[in-house]
Amino acid sequence: MVPPKRRASLASASGEVGSAADGGKQDGGLGLARQRGASGRPLVGRRPETKVVAVTGASSFLGANLIGLLEEDARVARIVAIDVKPPGTAQQKTRYYEVDFTAVSAEARLSEILAAERVGTLVHLAFTSSPTHAVAFAHELESVGTRHVLVAARHAEVRKVVMWSQTLLYGAHPSNPNFITEQHPLRAGSIDGANEPWFSDKIEAEAEVARFADTSPHAIVTVLRTAPILGPTVNNFLTRYLSRRVVPVAMGFDPLVQFLHEVDAIAAFKLAIDRDHPGIYNIVGDGVLPLSTVIKLAGRLAMPIPHPIARRVGAALWLAQIAEAPPSFIRYLRFLCVADGTKARERLGFRPAYTTREAVLDFTNAQRLRDLKLLRG
Amino acid sequence: MRPKRPEAKTAAQPKPARRANVQAGERPARRPEGGEAKGKDAPETQRRRRRPARRGSGTAQGARDGARAEQVRAQRGSASDGAASPRIEGREDELRRAEGASESSPRREYEHENEHETERRTEVIAQIRELEAQLDRLIDEASRRDLAELAGDDEPEVAASAPAHEEAPPTERDEEKREDAWRAPRPSTPQVRPSVTSVTEDRSSASSVTGGETTVFDTARELLSTDFYLRKWGRLAMRGRSEEVDDFGFDPVYEQKARGILEFLYTRYFRVQTTGIENVPSHGRCVLVANHSGTLPLDGVMLKTAVKLEHASPRDVRWLTEDFIYHMPYLGSMMNRLGAVRACQENAERLLAKEQLVAVFPEGVKGIGKLFSERYRLQRFGRGGFIKLCLRTQTPIVPVAIVGAEETNPLLFRVEYLSKALGLPYIPITPTFPALGPLGLLPAPTKWQIHFGEMIDFSGHGREAAEDELLVNKLAERVRSTIQAMLDRAVGARRSVFFG
Repeated sequence: MVPPKRRASLASASGEVGSAADGGKQDGGLGLARQRGASGRPLVGRRPETKVVAVTGASSFLGANLIGLLEEDARVARIVAIDVKPPGTAQQKTRYYEVDFTAVSAEARLSEILAAERVGTLVHLAFTSSPTHAVAFAHELESVGTRHVLVAARHAEVRKVVMWSQTLLYGAHPSNPNFITEQHPLRAGSIDGANEPWFSDKIEAEAEVARFADTSPHAIVTVLRTAPILGPTVNNFLTRYLSRRVVPVAMGFDPLVQFLHEVDAIAAFKLAIDRDHPGIYNIVGDGVLPLSTVIKLAGRLAMPIPHPIARRVGAALWLAQIAEAPPSFIRYLRFLCVADGTKARERLGFRPAYTTREAVLDFTNAQRLRDLKLLRG
Repeated sequence: MRPKRPEAKTAAQPKPARRANVQAGERPARRPEGGEAKGKDAPETQRRRRRPARRGSGTAQGARDGARAEQVRAQRGSASDGAASPRIEGREDELRRAEGASESSPRREYEHENEHETERRTEVIAQIRELEAQLDRLIDEASRRDLAELAGDDEPEVAASAPAHEEAPPTERDEEKREDAWRAPRPSTPQVRPSVTSVTEDRSSASSVTGGETTVFDTARELLSTDFYLRKWGRLAMRGRSEEVDDFGFDPVYEQKARGILEFLYTRYFRVQTTGIENVPSHGRCVLVANHSGTLPLDGVMLKTAVKLEHASPRDVRWLTEDFIYHMPYLGSMMNRLGAVRACQENAERLLAKEQLVAVFPEGVKGIGKLFSERYRLQRFGRGGFIKLCLRTQTPIVPVAIVGAEETNPLLFRVEYLSKALGLPYIPITPTFPALGPLGLLPAPTKWQIHFGEMIDFSGHGREAAEDELLVNKLAERVRSTIQAMLDRAVGARRSVFFG
């Protein structure tokens, strides 16, 4: 189900691709040589610059949609999909490799693949999009897995690395400014003195990438910190939270929240692949909304719980696998964690097609159909 | 059920003659029953027709809507019965006249033909209404039949096939046919029409009770579904809230609702007296620097209300508050919706970049936490952050002295050892607070004064002056002494805390 606006924004995203030809030029020579080698004769045409993009976590929501978008891009010669299961959107250009990042041999195997496929751009999306009970697995995948990926990338001399991160890592604190910029430290790791592995693994991964950027100056390293992704088709802890009949909130607290529409999230990664802009960018939707308004727009019932009790109850529910998120997420129901998207707008040229409110409404429309069992998923 | 009703009725009662009368006179006459009837009815039919297509669940929804429409019709019918009808006919004449007037003005030569025109028009309108009613009924019937089939009910087939051709949207070719039709009494009409009036006229009769049952059943089912309450709740809960807030959470609808209380506090409770309001610029960025006092941070709200009520061009003041407000349930979100913003450099710069009017209380928590014995003695002005802000953004300062807030909740002691757990800077002990419970936090009705001083402009110093700590301290001290002088003057001139 593709809403018309989504189609339009996808079109505009690929339109921007055409205007951002300078981005692909540098590896253009390399791509041409490769093409010549592959087909035996030189390519003549107005746009010889092609590239090879590898996507880790290819069967995740972001990965699969990004591959679908790259398949349609004429300047992408080949897509290397790396995951434990094949992406549904793979077509002719995609080559799928099964690599388990938690395995010991992942590093060597990944390095082989990247070198053999002559990957120019590596998009690292192998992160858990929702909190998981499999803490050890998540740690292996995110923290250690990122290290594997980066070691392999350095070995294979990958030109560009694009990594997914989240604005949630800034942490919800009453001392946050209303709009957190990219320089702000990532403080979500230890909330209320308790270490939350879902955050700290991702923060470790970011630290790995920062180290990689420092030690390999020739590589372009782009980190996209997305706001919580919401939309009609995405399924993560946030959509599950908002699709409850009765949504628990912290009594007396009504923080401003910010969402990113799924289409905008995919478009942002496409933009980062097309253009060379090293650095960290907050990718967020325009506008903020109080949490209570979001719940009302979604047509749900808010159940206020006093936060000292909520922590205990939340811990029990998380243990019983009823809650969507561990109790450390209750902080996000009390305090502000909203990021500033100015840098992405000015440098990356990222313009979200949906505001926070529109993203909520788009999600709500799909959710209504799901409630009536007219839409699966 | 309902579809059977018309036949039954025609057999039992001398209905047709009356109904014909009803059609000719009453029904078109009821339509222009004042603006609200017309206005309500037209969108209603439209909505009803649109809804099944838009919503996925055609049948159930259609049936429900049909039931609701039936109720509405019944109510409206009963209202316009009997005593109401002469009045309505009078109105109808008026309407006709008005229509004639509007019609005749462009082409006066056909004046006497216009009379005919108007008459015809009214009747055509009546016809259209009638057809609409038919169509509604057919839709209802169809959906009901679907439901019956679903339920496995062996209800006899309704004679809906006969008027099926009526269902087609009126084309131009049909137009002529219909014009002939309204002259001759239509044979099909008495059976087909659900006749709103007949339902209302025979409310007591047994036949309409069956119709009533359907309605009650449908309504009950709707009322029993949780969806209904969720939708209702969502709509009700959004009453006092706007769907969009600005970047810092200011909610104009909420503010509008709170305005009554704020204005009461301002004019009646604290009887605020304002001087020098003209020193606040009517446009462009500006920083209001004020003294902070009162155990509850009411001065920000009152300062905001002062500018809103007294200033020649009412502006929204965004005041910067301490972090601890956001630790407190309800207070933080309430203040946020009214326009408070957490105090930090990033937020202030963002606000000033939007040319907003920003109020700061540089004393911070130390200001509110002053003991009663230290009242109207300004505390240290932080680290001069507001001066750095003004230098960096080249913003002028208007010093503000607020008198009267110190006595609202006179602070006798500060208890700090338990406050950490609550996220508060201290627990206030006032003459009333822990003793009377939460009621003790009600502010005393003191007489307030808000004095706005002359604007201080820092444009003489460059942006780089913000790095010069010595200069920053000097400027901060200058602003502090200005406000202190204003405070001393005002407090000295004051004769009574409660009467000014």
